[in-house]
Amino acid sequence: MTDTRLRLVILGGYLGSGKTTWLRHQLHVGAFGLRVHVVVNEAAEVPVDDALLAGADGMTLLSGGCCCCAGRDEMIDALRRLCDLRSRKSAVEVRLERIVLETSGLADPGAIVAAIQADPVLVNHIVVDETIVAVDALHALAQLATEPLGRRQVEAADRLVLTKTDACDPAALACLRATLAVLNGHATVSAAVLGEDVALPPLPEDARPAALIALAEEDGRGPITPTQVAIPEGMDWSAFTLWLSALLHARGNDLVRVKGVVRTPAGRLLLQTVRKVVQSPEILPEQGDMRRDDVIVFIGRGYRPEDLGRSLRRFLGLPAAAPSAMALEGSP
Amino acid sequence: MCNACGNPAAPGHWTEAGAASAGDRLRARFHRAALLQSVLRPYGLTAHDGGVVPGIQIGTLTGAQAIVHNLEEVWAEVERLAGQAVDPLDPRYLGDD
Repeated sequence: MTDTRLRLVILGGYLGSGKTTWLRHQLHVGAFGLRVHVVVNEAAEVPVDDALLAGADGMTLLSGGCCCCAGRDEMIDALRRLCDLRSRKSAVEVRLERIVLETSGLADPGAIVAAIQADPVLVNHIVVDETIVAVDALHALAQLATEPLGRRQVEAADRLVLTKTDACDPAALACLRATLAVLNGHATVSAAVLGEDVALPPLPEDARPAALIALAEEDGRGPITPTQVAIPEGMDWSAFTLWLSALLHARGNDLVRVKGVVRTPAGRLLLQTVRKVVQSPEILPEQGDMRRDDVIVFIGRGYRPEDLGRSLRRFLGLPAAAPSAMALEGSP
Repeated sequence: MCNACGNPAAPGHWTEAGAASAGDRLRARFHRAALLQSVLRPYGLTAHDGGVVPGIQIGTLTGAQAIVHNLEEVWAEVERLAGQAVDPLDPRYLGDD
């Protein structure tokens, strides 16, 4: 059975990071397909941009506050309305295929994913496809140094788009990329100037991440580090889900992100979580890059990295063999 | 979704992925309940999934019972019944103490 649910792309990024500029160009070149509806959330009232409308099938403006907190009900209502209109058409007709939700600069994409998964209607109609976060190459380092929200946005991303890279000093850009790799090692990174994709130079060998001091909100649990855990061969998927769900229940607030591809009897499953919320696993086609199969990346803090692999092996009843987890130093 | 009882409220919990046919799903439920039973025994709890009624039954040795719908709810209920969360990274579980 194919999944006929609406695809939702969440576009986030800090205030002034170039979300709208990027989205406008992507809609113009048709990067999200033809049948796409754009939902824009502005914390402040702004005039609707005609150019934005031109590339999309329709557009909704949510101006009742940030949609991850104060404006959440309005966002849920808008999405429900779209689902309702779409459900009145049969699957063979031309109908809406995708929604792009541009969040306000103050929104935490993780909270939006959680709100959609918790809504009994939307969870049946919408599947979150991708979280794209725009990162301002000029100002992101300063924001990441002081703003917990900026870090949460980067951590929640599947894809990071660096904007304004043309105006940025190459050394600062390399430092930013290294810092982003520490915060979120699994996201793909690309660059865009005024929405147009530009090629990123290869990351210099000597690029060092900026030191991220712990922010007040994060207390003393230490820095967020990525850990890779190799999945033992022939692992029992049921036992693994027991282990991971228990881990997420006990440590969900410390585990910012879990992502990986697991081989199961049903095929290759792409597993990903944002804090305690697990997105419904997607079955991947057999071809593609198989080298990263059966490795799960845990991004979090407040535990010893090697404990993850030990705990999994113990849970599966396997002997504590060779160290199966290794902390990635700096550049994953 | 069933009109009368509203079950299931969401399309498949993520932990139920990986079983395609109805037979596979039932087998996976029995297998999962057996595993859960062995995990919960040291905490003084039992788990049962008969395969007929939706949900997993969690009970204490003194007879308190609860029916939960998925593994996410299992761990929340276990925390409530046992008075502590089952933490796979607990040093006692890892045998470090």
